[in-house]
Parts: sequence; C-alpha cells; structure tokens
Amino acid sequence: MRGCAFTGGLVLLSLALFVTCMGCHGRIGEPNDQDELMRPEEVISFDRLYQQNCSACHGENGSGGPALDLSNPTYQALVDDASLKRWITSGMPGTQMPAFGESAGGFLTEQQIDALVAGMRARWMFKKSAGVAMPSYLATIVGNAGHGEAIFQASCVSCHRQDKQKITNTSYLALVSDQSLRTIVIAGRPDLGQPDWEHVRPGQPLADQDVSDIVAYLHSLRSDTPGQPYPDESAKR
Amino acid sequence: MRRLKVLYEWFDRRLQLGEPIKEMALHPVPNKTASWWYVFGSAAFVLLMLQIVTGILLALVYVPSAGQAWNSLNVLNHQLTLGWFLRAMHGWGSNFMVAVVLIHMAQVFLFGAYKFPRELTWVLGVFLLLMTLGMAFTGQVLRFDQDAYWGLGIGASIASRVPFVGNWAVHMMLGGPIIAGATLSRFFAFHVFVIPGMLLAFACLHVWMVLKLGINEWPMPGRIVRRATYAAEYHKLTKKDGRAFVPGAVWKDAFFSAAILAAVAVCAAVLGPYGPGGRPDPTIIQTAPKPDFFFLWLYAVLSYLPPSLETPFLLIAPALGIAGLVALPFCAGEGEKSWHRRPVAILMLTSIALAWSVLTHLGTFTPWSPKMTAWSGGSPVPVRYTHDASPLQRQGAIVFQSKQCRNCHSIAGVGGQRGPALDLVASRMTEDQLIRQVLQGGGNMPAYGKNLSPSEVTALVSFLETLHPANEPPAADASRNAAAVLVTPAHQ
Amino acid sequence: MSEEVLLEGHDEEETAPVDELAVSRRWLLLKIGAFFNAVVGVAVAVPVVKYLLSPAKPDGAYKSWVSLGSIDSFPVGETRLAKFTNPVGRAWDGETDRVACWVRRIAQEQFQVFAINCAHLGCPVRWFPQSGLFMCPCHGGAYYADGSRASGPPERGLFTYDTKIVDGDLQIDAGQMPTLSNTAQLVQIQNTPGGSPCAG
Repeated sequence: MRGCAFTGGLVLLSLALFVTCMGCHGRIGEPNDQDELMRPEEVISFDRLYQQNCSACHGENGSGGPALDLSNPTYQALVDDASLKRWITSGMPGTQMPAFGESAGGFLTEQQIDALVAGMRARWMFKKSAGVAMPSYLATIVGNAGHGEAIFQASCVSCHRQDKQKITNTSYLALVSDQSLRTIVIAGRPDLGQPDWEHVRPGQPLADQDVSDIVAYLHSLRSDTPGQPYPDESAKR
Repeated sequence: MRRLKVLYEWFDRRLQLGEPIKEMALHPVPNKTASWWYVFGSAAFVLLMLQIVTGILLALVYVPSAGQAWNSLNVLNHQLTLGWFLRAMHGWGSNFMVAVVLIHMAQVFLFGAYKFPRELTWVLGVFLLLMTLGMAFTGQVLRFDQDAYWGLGIGASIASRVPFVGNWAVHMMLGGPIIAGATLSRFFAFHVFVIPGMLLAFACLHVWMVLKLGINEWPMPGRIVRRATYAAEYHKLTKKDGRAFVPGAVWKDAFFSAAILAAVAVCAAVLGPYGPGGRPDPTIIQTAPKPDFFFLWLYAVLSYLPPSLETPFLLIAPALGIAGLVALPFCAGEGEKSWHRRPVAILMLTSIALAWSVLTHLGTFTPWSPKMTAWSGGSPVPVRYTHDASPLQRQGAIVFQSKQCRNCHSIAGVGGQRGPALDLVASRMTEDQLIRQVLQGGGNMPAYGKNLSPSEVTALVSFLETLHPANEPPAADASRNAAAVLVTPAHQ
Repeated sequence: MSEEVLLEGHDEEETAPVDELAVSRRWLLLKIGAFFNAVVGVAVAVPVVKYLLSPAKPDGAYKSWVSLGSIDSFPVGETRLAKFTNPVGRAWDGETDRVACWVRRIAQEQFQVFAINCAHLGCPVRWFPQSGLFMCPCHGGAYYADGSRASGPPERGLFTYDTKIVDGDLQIDAGQMPTLSNTAQLVQIQNTPGGSPCAG
C-alpha cells in the first residue's frame, strides 16, 4: 500500500512538472502546420512544388531520375527561362513531359511555375567560364543528315553501337522530340556519366552546325510506324 | 470542524441525499471483484466527464458555421494560449473514450456480466457504445476540414443506398442538397446537445443499475446463473465474502481513472491536436480523404467488399450487429459466466478483435488507394534500376511515371499498392504477357490500349523486362525460344 | 437555523376520509387532462415534424441551370476542371457552396459534364489526361475518359449532369450532391454519345 502510494505520488509529481513546463514555454505538441493549411495553389515553396510535381521523373535533387537531370549546370546554362516555363506549363510536345500549367489543364498557377523556374536557377545554375561558345538551345540552322551521319559514325557509335546504348531504335526516337535530342546532345547526362557537347569528341567540341546535323540524322531514322511488336525478329525472319 | 458539520446538516436536511449516497458507497461488493479488471466502466465515465468539460471549453471559441468553423479551429490552434492543448485533450479524450468503452464491453462480455439480472444494463451499454461512436463521428465532422467534408460525402453516399428513401435520407442528413452550412449546424446540434444529453442520461441510468443490482461477481467455473436463485446467491456471497464498495474497491477505480486522465494529457501534450487539415473547399480536389482511427476498419471493409455485396452489407450488417448485441443477454441470460466454460464466446471475441485490428491496420496505410501524386512526385525509380538501362528502357521508366502506372504499382517501395509491386515483374511475366496486360488490363487493372502509343508500350515493356534479379533471367515464352532455335540455323 | 423547527411535524399528513366518488372524479380529471395534453401534443408535433422534414425535397426541387462559363474555355478533345457556386445555398456556407466538376468537350458542340463525386462513395475523382483515366483517392475506383467504369469498387460510371449551350455558355442542371439515389444516375445513358455500354 505504502509503496503504491509512493509510486503514485511520484507519477503525479512528474506529471505536474511536465504540464507546468508545457504551460510556461515548452509547446511540445503545439501544431506547426502552416504549410499544410495553405490552399494548394498558394504553395510557392520550391522544395514542396518540386517534391510534388517533378522529382518522380527528374530525380529528387534534380539528378538520377529517368528523365533529364535538371541540376546539370550545362543544361541550366543552355535553356532560357521562357522555354523552361513553356515546357512546364504546356508540356513538351513529342515527349513524355506533361503539361502542369492551369491553362493546360494542370494544377500549377503561373506564380508557382515562376517559383519552380526561379528555384531551379537559384539552385542549379552557376556561371561557367565559357571557353567555347555553346550551341544555341533552339535549332537555328537546318541540319544536314548526311553530315550528321558522318559525325555520328565517327564520334557517337563507339558508345551507342552496342545494344545497351542503342539510340537509333525507332521506338526510342518516337518518344523524344528533335528538341530533346538536341538538348541531350549538348548538355549530356553527367549524372549517368554521359558526356556533353564539349567532351563527346576529344579536343573538338561540337559546333552548332554539328549538333543540328546529328539531330537531322537521327530525325531521318524515325519510322512512320514505330513500336511494332518484335521488330528485331521480323528482320531476322 | 463543528461548524462544518452544522453546515452539512443544514444542507442534508434539505437535500436528503446523504443517506442514499452513504448507502450506495457502503454497499457490499464481492471481495474478488475489487479487481483491476473492474476499473474500465468508471474510467469511461470519467472520460465522459473530461469530454464534457473540454467540450464546453472549446465551445467558448468554436463557431459552428461552415464559413468560419475551420478558421475558429485555427485560432484555437495558433492564437489562443494553450487552445491547441484543449483541442488535443478533447481529441485524445475521444480516442481513449472509444477505446476504454470497447475494452469495458469486451471485459463485460468475457466475464458474463450481461447475464441475469443485468440484461438491461448491457442493453443500455450497447446504446452507450453506439452513442460514443456517434460522438466520435459527429466530432470528426465538427473538425470541419477536408477529411470532414469528404467524410460527410461518404456518409451521404451510404445513406443514398437505402432503398426507396435514399434521396430523402441524404437530404435529411445534409440538411439540404449539398454538404454546407446546414450540415455543420445539424451535426453541431447532435454533437453538443442531442447525443451528449442522451449519453449522460443513459450513463447515469447505467451506473444506477450497477449500484442497485450489485457489481458482477468474479466468474467461477461451475457457478451457474439461474433466474430463480441468483439474487439470493449473490446476496449470500456479498455477505460472506464481501467488503464495502468505498473504500474497498473504489480506490482502484480512482487510481485507474487518474492514470487514464494522465495518459490523455501526456498524449495531448506530446502528440498535439488532430488537425484541422486543409480548408473545407470542395473545389480543392488534391486531397485523399481518410476517416479517423475508429472508422478505419469500415473504410477498409468498403474497399474490399465486392460491389454487389456493398449495399446489403452497409444497410443490413449494422442492423444485424446491433440486434445481435441487444439480443445477447436474452439468448444467453443464464448459465456459465466463466470464460473457462464458454469457448464460443472466447472464439467470437478473438475473431472480432483480430478482424478489427487487421482491418484497422490496413486502413492506416490504405493499400487499395492509388497514390495520387506518386506519378509526378516523390522518389523516382531508383538509379540502380535505370543506370545501366538503354535509352529506350529509360524512356520506358519515364512512360511508367507519366502514364501514372506508379499511382497503383510500387517500385522500390514507392508508389501505390493497389496493384502488385513491379520490382520483380519480369521474372513472373513474359514480354507478351506484359504487353497484353498493359493493353487490355484485367484483374482490376484498366486497359491502357487507347492511351498508349505502340512505341510507348514498347518502351514501357522493355523497361519492365529489366525488373528481375541479376542472377535470374526474365521469364520467357518457351515456345518462342523453340521457334528461335528453328529459325536461326535456316537464317544463317 | 430556526426554521428547522418549522419543518418538523409536516412529516405526518392527516389522512383524508376515503371518498369513492372524489377519487374517481380526480382520476377522470386526470384522464381528461392527459387527453387534452395529447391533443395539444399532436397539434404541436405536426409543425415540428414538418419543420424537421423541410430539407427533404423531391429530386428536381433543388436543381436549376448553372453556367460554367463560355464554351471557349474548354478546348475540344480535353477534359477540364470547372467550378461553380451551388444555386441553393445560405449566406454562411463559406467555401462549401462551391462545387467542382469535370467538363469533357468531345466535339465543337458536344459536352459531357461529370460530377466530381466518385460513384462509389462520393470522394473527389481526379482526371489524368496522360493515362486517360479518372482516379479516386479513397477506394481506388477508376473510370475511362467517357466516364465509364474502368476498375475498382464503383458499380457504375461517373455521374453526369445534363448540359445545354445557351448563347455560347455551357450550362448544367445542377443543385444537389449527386448520389446513387437521385436522377444523376438516369442521365448517363441518354447523354453519353459514344460512351461504352457499361457507362450506365
């Protein structure tokens, strides 16, 4: 009986202390949920927006995802704000990039898309000392497919020959636009160890014309009826 | 001291309550029932008192208007000193109350305490349980956030399934055509006036009967309850082997009640209040509504029942359940009380408890719900799956995301659990089977034939084909291998 | 404490002489009193019940035509979220009198407007244009672009609203939460051009 009362007293005392502490300044379980209470269209925190809308394809920190690594500084230096905004708002035609803007049936407002662009710039864009002029983001010159094939055979095939890295697959080409081919040729995928325009040919960076030519060559390989079942075997038979 | 006694006598001459209270306090209870097993009823009553007090304190600030309720809850949470703590006490108090009421009921059932002459006490207890659950549901509505709003939608959809008068039932429940101001007002009236009033009255009656009929004696195997002799036997038992209720038994009640209150306070202080979640704007559809803890099991049942059984279950099962509970003391009013001689009762209790906990557990992580943002947000397909992939396979991984496959299928533990996890899919399905499944759907999967281009299917399937353990080849169609063997020499 | 003396002695009341007639008269009066109370009770109960039942109205009573805005705001071939204010409401409804719905523009003048509420238990369905599916976050119901059931627990396709175009405005016949028990379920079949047969 005595021990019981003693224990009870101890429990009560600690409880009283606990509650008093909290009453003064502790605020242990006080809700801190301001973010949760916002309307979804009011959220302009880059981290939350990126986490909800981008990370599943582009990677949690802008790299390592199946889609283009947005944290690639070369990419960030290459692409202009207007294009970036356009792709997020209305999607990128010819690719899997969906439209997120309210105007295109998505859920993001213009402010939120601005916040995404600004956030990417702030995090992942840093000035590189430009030795050689980078090819332009949007194609300005009409490419020559024949010349492109020559460059492809000389500089790309060494890696892209094997089955693993084959990019002339018609199904693959049907899922990427010329613009995204151009982007990847210039910016590379450093997160996967794929070189950019400067390093793809040792000592001889790709010129704007070269990039256009390669894209024109790849474009010429596109099929009208891509993705037919068992393409390899029908060739064999 | 003497003056105090005079004062007491002055009041007691007028109130005349002293004698009955003394009689009640000193009534003998069997020695063995002064046990820690008999403390849950009093704890439930104490929790009811706590809910009434904290409820009144919250009502000082809460605004029962659809336009302002959510704002007033946020004022409580963020602007009033310790308003959040009172909300937390009320919320956790409700959780503890439902839990303690359920435990109390299980204990009463296990100890055969519903048998003669305590049938009516049990029936009242069943109503008290229903009212406690009613309080929990209406309370969840009063926390007028997105979950409350869509929870009401679920309630209305259930009501609409009543044959013939469904539409009428929906309008009555919502107080109008949609979930709006009238709905909150009527749930407020029920939560604050109607149910608590009944709850209090029924609880007092319940306690009155416990005191008048005596606390159930400790069940002994072989001590059979018979209507003719029970009263005399119980009287003899309390005379021979009994003690006064106060203080012989009540001190345990006091200790346990205090401990429960302390537990509520600690939970409230450490874990904080429930919500409110997002604002109750029905045009915000980026939400995944979920009921409170004690209705998760129902949420789980509703997703697992086949569609044809749903309406009958929703409408008939509750009625049957309540009828069964009410009928229990009349069907089994006599006989053995001891659980040693009541295997069916034990079996029923354990299977109900097991089913309830499994369903509740499932309800906490809702494996049947698509994860609505898994396609665009969260972790991507891990690098180890895509690093060595071909460009086509990598495009397949993007198709997997952009076509919302991941909302229902998880990879590396991220994604919905509606469909099977696909981490090892290539080792159980051949390429052809994968293509067929994607295009035609089946097995509760929609058909994607219309929404995927041939190259998207090719890319997706070539990605899925890579999902097998490194040391195990993907599943292959044996007949195609044979055909390849036949074709290859001819080709060369 | 002087009144204590006063109260003593009131315990034993003098018993009145037993009068058969008087007792039965008292009982009669009580019975008349009870009857009178019953009459008044019924008279009071009628308005109370009518008041309580006032929200329950026949199906069409709450519905009227609501504009969702110009048809130009809905691109042909796409499905978009539209929001409107419920025609029946009260001043203190706050945000809750707002309603969302999905507008599918099939052709220039051909619309399908789906309720936001899942046909299973009323949760808000979300449209995913990439996979062409409506998905419900609650119990995993899924519907195809034309509103027909694709998978999950719903027994039927999405609820639809009646539509009409007035002066370039898209209007729907709305006003109450669509559930399995109101006319929302009958509209589907008439109003689903090209819809799959399982839509109803």
